[in-house]
Amino acid sequence: MAEHEKSLLDPEVLAKLATLRLRVRAVAEGVLNGLHKSPHHGQSVEFAEHKEYAPGDEIRHIDWKAYGKFDKYYVKRFEQETNLRAWMLVDASGSMGYRGDERRLSKLEYASALAGTLAYLLVRQQDAAGLAVFAGSVTRAVPPRAEPSHVNAILETLQGVRAGGETRLASAVDLLVERAHRRSGVFVFSDLMDADERVLRLVAELRRRKHEVTVFHVLDPAEIEFPFEEPTLFLSMEDSRSVEARGRDVRKGYLELLERWLEETRRVCAEADLEYVLARTDRPLDEVLVPFLARRERSAA
Amino acid sequence: MSLSFLHPALLWGLAAAALPLAIHLFFRRRPKPTPFPAIDFILRARQETQRRLRLRKVLLFVARTALLAAAALAVARPRLVAPEAAAAVGPAGPAATAIVLDASASMQYRLGGRSLFEVARDDATEALAQLGSDEPATVVVCGGAAVPVAEPPSFDKAELRRRLREAAVTYGHADLTSCTGAAVRALAESAAGQAMRRKLVVATDLTAVAWRLDAPAPVVTTPAGPIRPEVTLLDAARGAELPNAWLSGFVADPDPAVGARGYRITATVNGLEPEPVKDAPLTLRVGSGKDQRVAVRAFAEIPATGSVKKTLAHDFAAGGPAVLSAALPADALAMDDTLVLTLDVPREVKALVVNGSPSPVKQRDEAFYVEAALAGPSSPARPTIVDAEGLGRVRFGDYDVVFLLNVRSLGAKAAELVQFVDSGGGLFMAMGDEVDPDRYEAEMKVLLPAPLHVVKTAAERGTPGAAARAARFAEVDWMHPALAVFTGPAREGLESVRTFRYMLLKPERKDAGARVLVRYDDGAPALVEARRGQGRVILYTSTVDREWSDWTIRTSFLPAMQRLAGYLSGALEERRDWPTPVYAPRILPVPGTAVPDTRVAAVVAPDGRERKVSAPEPGQDGVVSITPDIPGLWQVKVSENGKERPDPRLSFAVWPDLRESDTRRLEPSELTAWFGGASHARVAGDKPSGEGRQVPLWSWLLLVALAAFLTEGLLVS
Repeated sequence: MAEHEKSLLDPEVLAKLATLRLRVRAVAEGVLNGLHKSPHHGQSVEFAEHKEYAPGDEIRHIDWKAYGKFDKYYVKRFEQETNLRAWMLVDASGSMGYRGDERRLSKLEYASALAGTLAYLLVRQQDAAGLAVFAGSVTRAVPPRAEPSHVNAILETLQGVRAGGETRLASAVDLLVERAHRRSGVFVFSDLMDADERVLRLVAELRRRKHEVTVFHVLDPAEIEFPFEEPTLFLSMEDSRSVEARGRDVRKGYLELLERWLEETRRVCAEADLEYVLARTDRPLDEVLVPFLARRERSAA
Repeated sequence: MSLSFLHPALLWGLAAAALPLAIHLFFRRRPKPTPFPAIDFILRARQETQRRLRLRKVLLFVARTALLAAAALAVARPRLVAPEAAAAVGPAGPAATAIVLDASASMQYRLGGRSLFEVARDDATEALAQLGSDEPATVVVCGGAAVPVAEPPSFDKAELRRRLREAAVTYGHADLTSCTGAAVRALAESAAGQAMRRKLVVATDLTAVAWRLDAPAPVVTTPAGPIRPEVTLLDAARGAELPNAWLSGFVADPDPAVGARGYRITATVNGLEPEPVKDAPLTLRVGSGKDQRVAVRAFAEIPATGSVKKTLAHDFAAGGPAVLSAALPADALAMDDTLVLTLDVPREVKALVVNGSPSPVKQRDEAFYVEAALAGPSSPARPTIVDAEGLGRVRFGDYDVVFLLNVRSLGAKAAELVQFVDSGGGLFMAMGDEVDPDRYEAEMKVLLPAPLHVVKTAAERGTPGAAARAARFAEVDWMHPALAVFTGPAREGLESVRTFRYMLLKPERKDAGARVLVRYDDGAPALVEARRGQGRVILYTSTVDREWSDWTIRTSFLPAMQRLAGYLSGALEERRDWPTPVYAPRILPVPGTAVPDTRVAAVVAPDGRERKVSAPEPGQDGVVSITPDIPGLWQVKVSENGKERPDPRLSFAVWPDLRESDTRRLEPSELTAWFGGASHARVAGDKPSGEGRQVPLWSWLLLVALAAFLTEGLLVS
């Protein structure tokens, strides 16, 4: 069974699922299974009141200080948090439409699956989830809400997104500066191939406004490993540029530049207190989400 | 220089060099258009590597083209030919050619693992191979004993190749002036080559000693007048200098100071080196074959240019025939680093001293001083003393020399003494009070150099002024072998002898054959020599004790007695056996004439092989001769009564022609000028200035192809 579930989370398997809804459900179930296995859970609740212990209550919830004071067993009771607002900023620029292998998800599909799953999980625990899809500008926006039916709206919006145009993350940042007045969680799904090299400095502005920002850096394995050998005419996916090169001739230089860029991105994120997650589109989505969620649970605890 | 090809038809293969270009143009793959997000990185990476990639691309193209072109060219066997050479074989038509191969001893010089002769022979063979089938040729091998013979040019190249193949280097001198003259004469006399040009090819090491540039250069005499041949000099040394160190002299002289059979040996070492050589080992060996042993190890300072003499000493343990050899460490020219010498070391002289006036007081004993002189450590003689009364028990034939000291009479032994001297024995007679001239005349008339007369007293010993009045040795034959040791201040020891009384001799007979070696200052003979039969007799007209003369206490007495003993026994004679130069005929004397059936059976060369000797010439008592062709020790086998045995007495040393050791080279321009200048002569060789010789380019081209192949592999990987 576990094998079957794991296989469902594989990007190649997900790519065969027709709709984003199915993909999100498959991923969410996998993620939830993963989270249930974690010792950290229940962190999204707050203490409400004491209740006298009765058989069947969790022993670990017994308040021993109260026992010392009153010589009776009292159990702590919690109530769930419902006031978290989260924004999913999904990059739908031309470069996000890239897939190195036909059997895999494109970067946009992968980002959409990640964003949809997160939205599903947030709404499921009664948080509010919103969505902003951007390329050269914000093309679609769904304000955050906590109703279960709101997930469908988000997923339908994501389902209808097509990659195209240049990347301009600043437009999404501007939207959030304008609309997100209270402290929110911001999840950026992008390949960060922005014309503006200072894009992460702009994202850092959100962090200075007390938002908790997580950057999911979505990259295709072909972009990271550059498997090209033969003479190839490389075409830009966001403008009209092209370059002809033999893959094996430029590989070394390309990989050096890419490595420097990734290193710089990680450094800037760390300096600006942005959480950075590299999401390779050949990795199962739960492998990206579970460690991330687990880290968040630990930090919340 | 012009380029030609052995297989020009194969030059079509050069078209293969265009293959890389054709492949590049016709099979160029169209790049596959591929959308890619991170195009910025590709652009920057390409910008950084573009120059290197373009260079690599060009290099790859060049390497592939060069690989194919070089391989195709190599197959066509290209060669570079000097313009002169090209002209010689080109429009001027065929030529009659004489090839002179230098086979002198200096051609044994080894450079780079090969002797110069091997290089020269290959050069000559190649020169022969380059001649066309319509070009007659002749070959002259120059060196050794043979007078250069040049046969008329012929078209039988196989025979000429065989002659070159069978040619061997010699140990002798080569007169290339004569050899080239003979070769040019052969060209002139050739009927086949009358209408052709005349070419002379000389394969040599260009050593100066082989040429006599003061003689006129050879010319071809034609009806139209003399013309100079076209000369090509093939330098076997390829322009390299030929440093050499060699032994140019090796002599051994008897030296009594060294010992009874001591010799002072002088080796002359010559150097022709870039720098002086310090402490060069010089080894003196004694004996031959398995019995050879090192006698002296010395060191010599060899000058850069010039010679140095090194004197060594050796005392032979026994007399008889001996072999000495001196050796320097072998260098590039090894033939002159060892010289051999044969010696006849004097045997021990057995001397019988007949004491005519014995005395219990040693100093008054007649034989005391003679015995002391002959028994000295450096004396070649071993004396046996016998009183005149005991002479009857002695046999003269057991001794080499007999000393009669103040003996009154020999009586019946006189006849035996005459026979002893006649058959080669030596006799020394000293006078004294006991001597009776009449008895001597009666018993030993045939032995006496001159008849004894009367005793003369120059001064009475012990009287005042006696020393001044005493007779002195005045006329001395200093060149006599027995007295030749007295030189310079040593003569004082003889001239200071004072003689108070001496025997006068009657006038010499004309046919007596007497020779006065020493006279007193009044003209009377003091020491007289005569040959009697095969023996020698010396008469001293005074005493060998202190009665009549004080010679016995002079410094000259001891060496004089020892030398006289050696001379009388025949051991002192100058029987130096000079070494024979290589290729000089050596007369072999018939040994042991006492044995009629003895004859020379064979001669063994230093390389161990037996050589034939010439047949005995009529009327020469079986004298034979041989012409040695290898330096070293030649041993002679004699047949005695049908049995063969080596006779060490007949061994002889043969030296190489040491003129060839002088390896100084001529300036090529000097030689070409002698042949008529650059228009007639040129030097071919591997020197950078060397014009002429064909360079085998194909091997270099293959190297280029290999380098291109490796470069291509490196660039691709």
